[in-house]
Amino acid sequence: MFRQKCLVVKQELTAPGHFTLTLRSPRISKNARPGQFVQIQCAEDSCDPLLPRPFSFLTAGSSDFSVLYQIVGKGTELLARKKKGEEVWIVGPLGNGFSVSGSKNRLALLVGGGVGIPPLYHLAQELLKKKMNKKNIHVFLGARNKSLLLCEKDFDRLGVDLHLATDDGSKGRKGFITEPLEHFLAATGDSRQIYTCGPTPMLKAVSRLAARYKVPCEVSVEEPMACGFGACLGCAIEVKKGETKRFAIACCEGPVFNSKDIVW
Amino acid sequence: MVNLETRIGKLKLPNPILVASGTFGHAKEFEKFIDLKKLGGIVTKTITVKPRLGNPPVRIVETPSGMLNAIGLQNPGVEKFIEEKLPYLRKLKIPILVSIMGYRVEELVELTHRLEKSGGFDGYEVNLSCPNVSYGSSSGAVMFAHDASMIEAAISAVRKETKKTVVAKLGPDVSDIGKMAQAAERAGADAVSLINTFIAMAIDIETRKPVLANKTGGLSGPCIKPIAVRMVWEAAKKVKIPVIGIGGIMKTEDAVEFLIAGAAAVQIGTANFINPCASIEVLNGLGNFMKKNKIKNIRELIGSIKEN
Repeated sequence: MFRQKCLVVKQELTAPGHFTLTLRSPRISKNARPGQFVQIQCAEDSCDPLLPRPFSFLTAGSSDFSVLYQIVGKGTELLARKKKGEEVWIVGPLGNGFSVSGSKNRLALLVGGGVGIPPLYHLAQELLKKKMNKKNIHVFLGARNKSLLLCEKDFDRLGVDLHLATDDGSKGRKGFITEPLEHFLAATGDSRQIYTCGPTPMLKAVSRLAARYKVPCEVSVEEPMACGFGACLGCAIEVKKGETKRFAIACCEGPVFNSKDIVW
Repeated sequence: MVNLETRIGKLKLPNPILVASGTFGHAKEFEKFIDLKKLGGIVTKTITVKPRLGNPPVRIVETPSGMLNAIGLQNPGVEKFIEEKLPYLRKLKIPILVSIMGYRVEELVELTHRLEKSGGFDGYEVNLSCPNVSYGSSSGAVMFAHDASMIEAAISAVRKETKKTVVAKLGPDVSDIGKMAQAAERAGADAVSLINTFIAMAIDIETRKPVLANKTGGLSGPCIKPIAVRMVWEAAKKVKIPVIGIGGIMKTEDAVEFLIAGAAAVQIGTANFINPCASIEVLNGLGNFMKKNKIKNIRELIGSIKEN
């Protein structure tokens, strides 16, 4: 965990309303694990908006890291105006991240929707670095239409198996990504692991499928948060252990949880 | 060299920059960002007799230049606090104020009694003003901070149990903050700290539902600072005990404003969420401000407001 001012290396439009921001920080970059995130201060004086915005890593190399974000409000609008050569305050890397260890022979099923896709791209890169066979990595992407299938080409370049679905049928299967996922789960019987990130209804549906097919499933959740490092206790999510329920703090106990532990 | 030393009753603070309860966890959360030993003191996250799970989400929402929170005093309870959190705080060897909260006076007595047995800290901040929990057993129960006689009852009960420093944390939703501060003074408080968050609300206009699951929450951040400065100024004129200023301090200039208004020390709150190094940056900035303005002792600044 560090707080530092990072140089903007690149800012590019990647999809309608979506930007990829590349920032320089060897120490944040080198320590970043897939599923972890950074807090970015979008307003210079930090009054409007007051709170930093959390973004998961898209990539993290030896000196630079990147995040892929959608413009949804004032904070992200300000962020999109940052140009190469400017600087922004960053706190990170934060959170626990996905577990990347495990048998190389298992099938890794990466299920992403919307802006939940970027951390899965980071994960795919990391799994390949861990010498996992690219044939064993299956990526399921869902979006409203084909232009919003984030990172599709990047995943394609990695040579992993891609399964697509769009709401309007402009690419891949028409409908939700959980349909191709269910077909896949029904057709394969090897040791498997699901990793998922995206809108809550999708996470819920994926978790249900994981339970039905008895596949371990890691879910990355997003909750409104202030600090990002466990001080404010704002990003509560209800979890259970046996019969005991409690509120876990998503920023530091998560954002990645075992889907079985979450009270959906 | 500038002298930053200030006093809260018997308690000597190396400098006037403290961190506010509920914004700093139990300090360990910040050890990777700052040198905790440099702080003037730490006020812990409020603890209660029994553990509290806290409120269901949504717990926070951002508002213009501010935020609402309704955490609901999530905390491990006094026993676990003593066992798991206090040893770390004790090792920092800086002033530690344990924030305590009870729903009834008896609970405050029980908490103080238990903490006195444990020791290893410097005083109490009695949270009389958490806006996010229901008080008492009857629906008509009110927050301690809203009633001068209740403030007096709560503080004198704690006072009887301890020789350590007792600070009364007051809430802003009152008609006369001076009277509330006087009630705490009468009851034997060594200092008052103000203000806690304002009870506030945000509504989602699409669903027409309150954004927070608790419906209301506490408003904090730079938007409350001018009101906080006014209340500190008012309270400082009414009591002889020190006032600790809290409310939207983001940078050194804000802290200086509170000191001039009459605060003997200040607490950094919401700023810790945005910049985990905020407290130390304010402290360093304060030293620089004093040097620049040739102020040798922080006492020359405290209450130095020129009203005519």
